[in-house]
Amino acid sequence: MSEQTTYDAIVVGSGITGGWAAKELSEKGLRTLVLEAGRPIVPEQDYVEHVPTWEMKFRGLGDRKRLLADQPIQSTCYACDEWSSKFFIKDKEHPYTTPQDKPFRWIRGRQVGGRSIMWGRQSYRWSDLDFEANLRDGIAIDWPLRYKDIEPWYDYVEEFAGISGEALGLPQLPDSKFLPPMELNCTERLVRERVAKHFSGERVLTIGRAAILTAEKGDRAACHYCGPCERGCITRSYFSSLNATLPAAEKTGRMTLRPFSVVHSVSFDSKTRRATGVRVIDSRTHAALEFRAKVVFLCASTLESVRILLNSSTPEFSNGLANSSGELGHNLMDHIMGSGAEATVLGNEDKVEIGRRPNGVYMPRFRNVKTKHPEFLRGYGYQGGAFREGWERGITQVGFGPDFKKSLSRPGPWRFTLYGFGECLPNHNNFVELDKSNTDAWGIPILKIFCAFGENEDKMRRDMEMAAAEILAAVGARNIQPGTQEDPPGLAIHEMGTARMGHDPKTSVLNAFNQSHDVKNLFVTDGGAMVSSSCVNPSLTYMALTARACDYAVKQMKKGEL
Amino acid sequence: MRRREVLRLLATGTALQFAPRNLLVTIAQARTLLGSPAGLRTLDAHQEAIVRMMTELILPRTDTAGAADVGATEFIDLMLTEWYEQAERTLFVKGLADVDARSRMLFGKDFTDCSPMQQADILTALGEHMVEEGAQPLPVESNSASETNFYAMLRRLTLTAYYTSEKGATEELHFEIIPGMYEGCRPTSPVKGVEEEK
Repeated sequence: MSEQTTYDAIVVGSGITGGWAAKELSEKGLRTLVLEAGRPIVPEQDYVEHVPTWEMKFRGLGDRKRLLADQPIQSTCYACDEWSSKFFIKDKEHPYTTPQDKPFRWIRGRQVGGRSIMWGRQSYRWSDLDFEANLRDGIAIDWPLRYKDIEPWYDYVEEFAGISGEALGLPQLPDSKFLPPMELNCTERLVRERVAKHFSGERVLTIGRAAILTAEKGDRAACHYCGPCERGCITRSYFSSLNATLPAAEKTGRMTLRPFSVVHSVSFDSKTRRATGVRVIDSRTHAALEFRAKVVFLCASTLESVRILLNSSTPEFSNGLANSSGELGHNLMDHIMGSGAEATVLGNEDKVEIGRRPNGVYMPRFRNVKTKHPEFLRGYGYQGGAFREGWERGITQVGFGPDFKKSLSRPGPWRFTLYGFGECLPNHNNFVELDKSNTDAWGIPILKIFCAFGENEDKMRRDMEMAAAEILAAVGARNIQPGTQEDPPGLAIHEMGTARMGHDPKTSVLNAFNQSHDVKNLFVTDGGAMVSSSCVNPSLTYMALTARACDYAVKQMKKGEL
Repeated sequence: MRRREVLRLLATGTALQFAPRNLLVTIAQARTLLGSPAGLRTLDAHQEAIVRMMTELILPRTDTAGAADVGATEFIDLMLTEWYEQAERTLFVKGLADVDARSRMLFGKDFTDCSPMQQADILTALGEHMVEEGAQPLPVESNSASETNFYAMLRRLTLTAYYTSEKGATEELHFEIIPGMYEGCRPTSPVKGVEEEK
């Protein structure tokens, strides 16, 4: 029997947004083909969250020589460890280039579920402080939507995904439809009280808002606090495509999931000016295939989706399909991170945590909210938390013998960390292009990435460090250690902006519904669509935009508009 | 030739017929690789004895298991053989020679022949030297930084071997793979106690 090649919809990618598009389109009745470049994942075999350290050859330190040889870029991500490195690509197999002085860390996962397997799970709504930011500051272009447009879609995706957290009623960080929050530990409670008192409500500390169930949802169980979500979750407690959206799509009987399918380009009919489907290379056989559909959703990640479009040039679109604006591939953003402070907090020495909470604390943005900061635009939020030092502290101590051993069997002092995630301004000069002289293993031109943080980000980074130290001093912490890790862009793994939305087809790639201005049956619903970067983690917004775009696309199809 | 390849060859009888002429040399090399009494690959018998004693001095068997019970020396040999770079391996091996040099200077005999009190004196001196050098042992999960101080390296390896072993984790630290709950503020029992401030 030959393989079916015609569908109602094609979704490229099976990560956070591809999973959502698969679920929404198939539930709305479309026969949907989901193309995933990587291999299938079998949770019962591939998830390793309960494999203890003593069963790992290098006791969790990772196979250093292999990591440096095969995954020198990927292994700079905290989650790419001895257990989870198999969920990250091998750098040599998926090359890209950058100028010498503009390093970019492109962290990727090629498998069914994509990076939703190893993502950080922090989930926050964006607000009109974000959606109005470009207009207010006169930077780049205005967002073509506002909070009220996306609000019902946040409700919708949260209801399904399950977001635990605490309602605060803050305008700059709207509350989600929350599951019960995870507990703060005693030192976090203490810091929270002191922050509230000292900063009279202008700065607040709350539990992280996380896509992890604190109560059962359907056939997904509540978290059992084993700790390392990035290794998988056999109880499907945290949200991922594998744990939630793909099973829902599967249930409709209308989804076909095709792994090992590397999308080469989008095919285009110049008479109808519509996409007709996609060209695919089977990664195992290298066979060239073509699939056709009425509508194409690119959900391959910010940089992979734009790579596909740049590689889909036609006589009409010589610089890449759907690129009449010339903005495709431009305005690449990521968050700045790695600046903040940590300290020791006295008190609660007779208290411990039971269980490993896969979530920290959050301090919502306080810069440029009510008052204007003299040195930089936009702002940042802090992530961090309190924990008791473990046995590792004994390495730097000089003790040995029975007393030393006994002291290490007990928890050490409470430490508290605060590290910022800061907004990056959109900049036309941060961009990617095809490097036509270099191709990957499937003959597809690789990306050349030109991206660097600017002056506003540098100033914000310094403030992130100083303000964190100031907060820790205000709460009476000791041994305060401010610090900045000058991470290059990419490492926050919040890359976005290369196929931005906008009102005007002359200056943007997509309209307010993630639909290409130029090619009406083509949608891009991953991070590429973002017009500015906010300072909060973007995945929840990608989910809401994807569900909203699917709803719009199906309605347009029913009206005969696509 | 990689050790795994050697082992595979040794285990494969048929390989002999097709083996290259230098196979006998290879087998001899493999025997050397696998040659120490405990099957260690980097440490020789004397170095092994020093490491065994030092790791057990740092984390001795008490009412719970000690470093030797969880195979700390074997883990250290694995790390030296497969994980560390040559320069770090050299640092470690030189460090062991320095331990003997110190014990000969102070007590006129090898470290392994010293009394426990004398050995403790040497560990104390190594600790002081580590602090003087301002050695910052690597963060436990660092892949790219290099070790610079022998004693810091030994301590990092000993503690890692012990606390990530099954006995160290479950009996000493009461680690549970599936806690099943989270509580942020549990009073400690007197047994588990807390570290007294000194």
